[in-house]
Amino acid sequence: MALLEIEGLSIGYGTRNGLLRAVEDVSFTLEAGGSLGLVGESGCGKTTLGMALMGLLPPNGKIMAGKILFEGQDLKESTEEQWRKIRWRKISMIFQAAMNALNPVHRVGDQIAEAISTHRPEMPEREIMERVAELYRLVGIPVERIKDYPHQYSGGMRQRAIIAMALACNPRLIIADEPTTALDVIVQDQILKEIKKLQEKLGLSIIFISHDISIVAEVCEDIGVMYAGQLVEWGPKEAVFENPVHPYTKALLASYPTLMGERERLRPIPGEPPNLVSPPPGCRFCDRCPSAGKSCKSQAPVWAQVGPRHKALCNACS
Amino acid sequence: MELRRYIIRRLIQIAIIFYVILTVLFLLFRLAPGDPVSRMVDPTMTPEDAQRLISQLGLDQPIWVQYLYYVKNFFTGNFGHSFHYGKPVVEIIWDRLPNTVLLFTTSIILSALVGVFLGKIASWHKGKATDAVLTIGALVTHTVFLPWLALIMIWLFGYKMGWFPITGMISEEVWLDPESGIFAKALDVAHHMVLPLSTLFLIHFGAYLLIMRSSMLETLKEDYIITARAKGLSEKVIRDKHAAPNAALPVVTSVGLSLAFSINGGALTETVFTWPGIGRELVFSVSHNDYPLAQASFLLIAIVVLLANLVVDVLYAYLDPRIRY
Amino acid sequence: MAGSVQKRAGFKGAFLEGWEIFKESLLGRIGLTLILIFALMAVASFIPPMIDPMYHPMHGVDPEISFSTGPSLRHWLGTDFMGRDILSQLLAGARVAFMVGVSAAFMSIFLGTSIGMIAGYMGKAVDTMLMRLADMIMVMPTLLVVLILSSLFGQLNIWTIVLIIALFRWPGVSRVIRSQTLSLKTRPFIEAARVAGASHFRIIFRHIMPNVLPLSFLYMTFRVTSAIIIEAALAFLGFGDPGTVSWGMMLQWVWKTGHMFKAPYWLLPPGICISLITLSFYMLGRAMDEVLDPRLRKEADAS
Repeated sequence: MALLEIEGLSIGYGTRNGLLRAVEDVSFTLEAGGSLGLVGESGCGKTTLGMALMGLLPPNGKIMAGKILFEGQDLKESTEEQWRKIRWRKISMIFQAAMNALNPVHRVGDQIAEAISTHRPEMPEREIMERVAELYRLVGIPVERIKDYPHQYSGGMRQRAIIAMALACNPRLIIADEPTTALDVIVQDQILKEIKKLQEKLGLSIIFISHDISIVAEVCEDIGVMYAGQLVEWGPKEAVFENPVHPYTKALLASYPTLMGERERLRPIPGEPPNLVSPPPGCRFCDRCPSAGKSCKSQAPVWAQVGPRHKALCNACS
Repeated sequence: MELRRYIIRRLIQIAIIFYVILTVLFLLFRLAPGDPVSRMVDPTMTPEDAQRLISQLGLDQPIWVQYLYYVKNFFTGNFGHSFHYGKPVVEIIWDRLPNTVLLFTTSIILSALVGVFLGKIASWHKGKATDAVLTIGALVTHTVFLPWLALIMIWLFGYKMGWFPITGMISEEVWLDPESGIFAKALDVAHHMVLPLSTLFLIHFGAYLLIMRSSMLETLKEDYIITARAKGLSEKVIRDKHAAPNAALPVVTSVGLSLAFSINGGALTETVFTWPGIGRELVFSVSHNDYPLAQASFLLIAIVVLLANLVVDVLYAYLDPRIRY
Repeated sequence: MAGSVQKRAGFKGAFLEGWEIFKESLLGRIGLTLILIFALMAVASFIPPMIDPMYHPMHGVDPEISFSTGPSLRHWLGTDFMGRDILSQLLAGARVAFMVGVSAAFMSIFLGTSIGMIAGYMGKAVDTMLMRLADMIMVMPTLLVVLILSSLFGQLNIWTIVLIIALFRWPGVSRVIRSQTLSLKTRPFIEAARVAGASHFRIIFRHIMPNVLPLSFLYMTFRVTSAIIIEAALAFLGFGDPGTVSWGMMLQWVWKTGHMFKAPYWLLPPGICISLITLSFYMLGRAMDEVLDPRLRKEADAS
C-alpha cells in the first residue's frame, strides 16, 4: 500500500467573483520513503494542495471532490480533533524561513519543544529538551543556540531550525513548501543537501513544493508538474527530464538552466495562465502552447500513459 | 546588556526633553506681559520677606543669571512660595504627588489589562454579537466627554444611589479616629477612589480594546500562526500563547503615545472629584493666579509623563525580545 | 499639461472608488449622518435670536425668568440659571464646535503634512531635528499647556485657543506623513522628476503632496475630535473664551452654579452633544481608514 494516495482531488476557494478552482482533479501516489517534487508557477495550486494535506485550508477553502488516502485512511473525513493528532506526528511541514514561520517572541528551542510536548504530553521536560538538542545536532545548528530568539539566527540557521522542528515528532511524511526560496545560493545548496541526507537517513517521505524545477530535481525521485490547478505531467525524475511530454513541462525545463543536459538559452513562457473562476473547457495551457491543435481549445485533455510510471495530461502529444 | 544600553539611551533623551521644557517654561514666564517679580512673589508678603525671596530667586539679577538661579533652584527643590497656601511650593507638591501617581497608574494599568483581555475576546468572536457589543461599547466609552462622564458618575452613583463619596480622598472621621487601623484607612481611600478610577477606566479601556482587537486579527494572519496550527496546537494555545503576546505589543506602544492624553484626563478627573493631586493643583493654581505653584505643578506633571514613558518603553523591550537582545 | 489632466481624472476616479467602499461601511454612514445633523444645528443657531432677542444664547434673558427652569413650550429644553434659553445655547455650541474643530484640525494637518514631507524628503539633520521636536511636543499634555499659557497671558480668545491646539497637535500626523514620504522618495517618478531638474519645492508640493493628501485627510477627522475635546475641556474648567457659548461652557455653568443634581435637562444635552460629535468624527475616521488601508480592503475581499 502506498503511503499517500491522492485521487481526483479538487479544491475550491469561495471568492467575491465566484468559486475559484485552485486544484482540479489531481491524482498521484507516493510510496513510503519516496519523494515527490511538485513544480509550477505561483498560483498553480501547489501550495493549496500542500495545505490541504495538513488540513490547513483557509476558511474560504474547501475540498470539493476526491480522496486523500494516507496510510489507507481518507483524511478528508477527519474531524478537527483527528487532524490535530495527524498534524506534525504523521505529516509535518517545512515552512519558508523568510516568511516569519517562527514566532518572534518565543525562544526557538521552546517552539520545537512545544511541538513535541503537544503530541507526547507524558514526556518529561528534561527528555524533551534532550530531544531538541539531538535535533539541533541532526540539522547542524550549535546546541548552545537553543535558547536564542529567531531574530538572532541567520537565514540559513532559521531554515535549519524549521527543518528540525518538522522532524521533531518523527513524522512519516514531510511537506516542504519552497523551503529554500529566499536563501542565497550557497546556503540553499547546503539546505537541499541536508534535506536529502535526512530523508535518506530517516526513511522519510517528502513532498517538495517549488517553482524551480532544478531545485526539485536535486531532492526528489518523482516529479509532478502542475499548471492552473491541474497536474499535467507526473513521472520519475529521469523520465520527465529526458523525455518531457507535456508542452508546459518542456517550456519549464527550457526556462531554467538545466542541471543534467547542456546549458541552453533560457526561454521564458509567453502568456498568462487562465482565470480559475471560469476556466476554459479545453486544455488550460493551449493559449500558450506552441504545439496546440484545433481541438485543444474545446476538448478537455485526457491522460496519456507515456511509460509505466509516466503520464501526461495532453491530447496533442500522445 | 542590550536592555541596559537601551534604557540609558532613553534616559538621556528624556533628560534632554525635560531640560528643554524647563527652559521654555522659564522663557514663557519671563516673556509674558507683566512683571516677573509680581508673578513669583506673593503680594501680601512683608517687604523684608519679599526682598529675601527676590534675592533667593535671583529676580534682581540680569535675565541669564536669573536662568542659572532658576535651574539651580529647580534641582535643589526650591520652587518659591505658594500665594494661596502661604507655604513652600515643594511641600504642597510632595504632598500631592503620591495621590496623582496612585490614581494615574492604577487607572492606566487597569484599563490596559482589561482592554487587552476584552480585545482578545472580541477578536475571538469576530462578527458575532459579543464582538459587536464590545466594539460598540468601547467606541462609546472612548469618545464620551470625560468631565461630563465624571458629573454623571457623581450624579448617579454618588447622589442618587449614594454608594460612593463624591469628593476628596479620605473621610476625616476615619482618619482622625485613633481606633482605625491601616486597613480601615486603605479601605476608606479605596472607597473614595472608586468613582474617579472608574471614570478614567471607562475613558481609556475602549481605545486599548479596539487596538488589541484589530492587532489580534492582523496577528492571526501571520505565518507563525500557520506554523502553530500545523504543529497540531489547540486554538486556545494558538491564541493565548502565539497570537496574544505579539498582538499586545501595539497596545503597549499606544499606552505610551496616549500618556499625555491620559494626564489631561487625569487632571480633569482630579478637578471634578476634588482628588488632591497635582493635576487639580495645576488647575486650581492657574485659576487663582498662584504662579509659583502652577509652574512647579506643570514641571512635575511633565516629569511624571516622561518617566511613565520610560516605564512603557522598558515594558515594551521586556515583551519584545527583538529589542531586548 | 496632459499629465496634470490625467492626474486629476485619476484623483476623481480614486475618490469615486473610495466613496463606493465608504458607502458600504455602517460606521461611516452613521458618522456622516450625525455630522450632517450637527451641521444643521450649527446653521439653525442663527434662527432663535431672530425670533426673539430673549433667545440670544449669550445675552438673551427671558424677562419673566431669573432662575433655571425645566422644559416648557417657550423654552423647549428649559433655561439656565439666569433665564437664558438652553436650546439656543446648544445650537450655538454646535457652531463653535465646528469652528474650533475644523479650523484647528485644518491648521494642525497643514503643519503636520508640511513638516512631515519636509522631514521625510530632506532627511539627515533636518529630519532628525524636526522629529526630535515632534517627540518633544508629543509628550506634552495639550490641555495643561493651554492652561499654563492662559494663566500667563490672561484670558485667551477662541482663535488663540485654536492656534495653540493646532501648534501642539501636528506631531502625530507628521510622523505618518514622513514615513509615507520616505517610501515615496524611492519611487521612480520622484527620481525621474529630480533628474529632470525639478526643484525640491516643486517635487514636494507637486509630486509628493498629492500622494500623501488622502492620509492627511484621514488624520484631519481624528484631529477635529481632539480639538473639540480640548476646547470643551478648557471651557469646562473655566478658561474658555467668555465671549462664546460652547458646550464645554454650558457644562461649566451647570457644574459651578450647583445645578448638576437638580437640572438634568441642563446637564444632559451639552454632554451628549460633545460625546456624540466626537463619536461621529471618530466613526467617519475609521470608515475612511477602511477606504485608505489596502490591507483592510484585502481582508474584506477574501471573506
